[in-house]
Amino acid sequence: MIRFNRAMFYAAFVCAGAVSLDVPQAYGDETCNSPYVTKLIKGQEDYVYVWALGVEGLGDGSDKMVTVDVNPRSKNYGKAIQRVSVGSRGEAHHMGFTDDRRFLWAGGLENSRIHVFDIATDPGRPRLVNTITNLAEKTGYVGPHTYYALPGRMLVQALSNTRDKGGVTGMALYNNKGDFITSYAMPVDNGGDGYGYDLAVNPRKNMLLTSSFTGYNNYMRSLGEVVKDPEAMKRFGNTMLLWDLKAMKPQKVFSVPGAPLEIRWSLKPGDNWAVAATALTSKIWLVKQDAKGEWQAKDVATIGDPTKIPLPVDISITRDGRGLWVNTFMDGKTRYFDLSNPEAPKQTYEKQTGKQVNMISQSWDGKRVYITSSLLANWDKGGADNEQFLRGFTWNGKELKQVFEVDFTAEKLGRAHHMKLGSKALRTAYTRPETSRQLALNR
Amino acid sequence: MIVRRDTTIARLLTLFVVMLVSRIACGHQQDDYHAVLDFTPPAPGTYQLHRIMPAPEGSVLDADGNARKLSHFLRSKITLLGFIYTTCTDPEGCPLAYRVFDGLKKEIQATPALHDRVRFVTLSFDPARDSPEVMKQYAGSRIKEDRGLRWYFLTTRSVRDLLPLVEGFGQDIRYSVDKSTGRPVRELSHVLKVFLIDRSGSIREIYTSTFLHSQVVMNDIKTLLMEQGAKLP
Repeated sequence: MIRFNRAMFYAAFVCAGAVSLDVPQAYGDETCNSPYVTKLIKGQEDYVYVWALGVEGLGDGSDKMVTVDVNPRSKNYGKAIQRVSVGSRGEAHHMGFTDDRRFLWAGGLENSRIHVFDIATDPGRPRLVNTITNLAEKTGYVGPHTYYALPGRMLVQALSNTRDKGGVTGMALYNNKGDFITSYAMPVDNGGDGYGYDLAVNPRKNMLLTSSFTGYNNYMRSLGEVVKDPEAMKRFGNTMLLWDLKAMKPQKVFSVPGAPLEIRWSLKPGDNWAVAATALTSKIWLVKQDAKGEWQAKDVATIGDPTKIPLPVDISITRDGRGLWVNTFMDGKTRYFDLSNPEAPKQTYEKQTGKQVNMISQSWDGKRVYITSSLLANWDKGGADNEQFLRGFTWNGKELKQVFEVDFTAEKLGRAHHMKLGSKALRTAYTRPETSRQLALNR
Repeated sequence: MIVRRDTTIARLLTLFVVMLVSRIACGHQQDDYHAVLDFTPPAPGTYQLHRIMPAPEGSVLDADGNARKLSHFLRSKITLLGFIYTTCTDPEGCPLAYRVFDGLKKEIQATPALHDRVRFVTLSFDPARDSPEVMKQYAGSRIKEDRGLRWYFLTTRSVRDLLPLVEGFGQDIRYSVDKSTGRPVRELSHVLKVFLIDRSGSIREIYTSTFLHSQVVMNDIKTLLMEQGAKLP
């Protein structure tokens, strides 16, 4: 249960000023957040939170939340200023803010633990305040992947299940305090394959889009083995689904071959379309209404040379919906697509940004781009190709210029995976101490 | 942090003195997406509203200054509850909530099958400024019982009484941000949230401004009534 630090709450009220300034605006954010999530950052972000996979023998070997100072005016610019170890290694992967952006939920694909960090009390020093461990027990699903904020609650997309560790899975709904509410199965009828990966909501259309990846048996196995195993290669998702968000009922199944992963709705007001990239077939897909108003998904662009399986992983859409960054893991390239016509995206730029690259996030103004290196512990490259980093770039519309790097191996931080942006200005008026009730319940 | 009793009392005294001369900003954090209904919501009774969490208990004051438990206003009927400041002017905050509440009120009053089954509760965030008298004045004609819908305007005696309610509903309060510098300033703000609570006191839906549409809320109210076996037109 959330508990206020009363002294801080009182102090906050006491500090209420006598002069009323303008009320704060709706701030944009790194554009992969839910578009209606509140208190977003339009100006200079102060921090990048990096959720890092623990590596045996490196530091304490645990998964950890790493806070990197990314404000160029700071004396600590480009440095890891804090690390919070969760005391276990469970294939740290993705994370997501609660709707009020006070807490950051970060999960493990192997141990199915969901760690909740307070980032509002002191945005520069996230604190682990809760660990939710009942996903498998409550739902039969494992591998929590995407955390998508709904008012007062968090929708969690899992990747796999306890029964056979395959790709048939579902979603779990928790309230913001970490109490389980209900679950929703990914459909296996009417063309559905039951697989899951990402979630993305368009509230104006009451729509939820989902995509599909693969199960525990594949994502916990070495990539080299999976690729050589024809049966394993059959066990990837080939669908995207349109849901009635309010009713949480599937409305339409789209055939999208080759593991459609990250989904991004255009954030431009009035736009009602989304894009996704397929990992195995190296395509950009557009989900949009046709002339009759029927929702359709279609392949609109090719990323690199699909015969070489560049493995598109993360994408990041600009705030005006006119550009899309695409990272391809195998060739370590970052590509920019002109989305002015979403029906026909055109690649206009590419640069090798690492020997392996996975996640990509951009600031709201698009001038800063952040890239990390790790995909999955057993899918990352070996030897000298196994670079582990957070790299910061500036983007002037023509060229990505690297401005800093945090070497996650040298600093014994682990494998750098998902990122979220933080700001000193998002300090809350009260705090939440370590929560014992949930810990007790979940254990 | 452990707060010593004497320290707390001192802080409370300081708080009340300062709040008497200060102004708390009603800085609702807007959503980027405005509340434009661009879809047909699912029909009442065709979907489920899950129990998100129990509504918290606490002490409140009604507009006549009577001390009550909040549960007194949350049981046996369906309740729509929202937090406000009477000084609020943000169009995406309290005024938006009022537009939705007022629209729903008219529809409920025009539908006899809904009479005496729903109540509205407006609860102040600002106990220092929003006394019961202020709340009564603020409510105006809305507080009068007419045609099957009661609308209660509540406040709390103190921040001490307010705290467990804000905490229990999961309502955030933040420092506001100076737009020119991006730094926190000495004002508070919060995300607009409206709570739909069933007859047993469970929160069944939460609306932020993006999701606060009167038609959706009405369908949710009817869904809860149908869950109880109500036959609705």
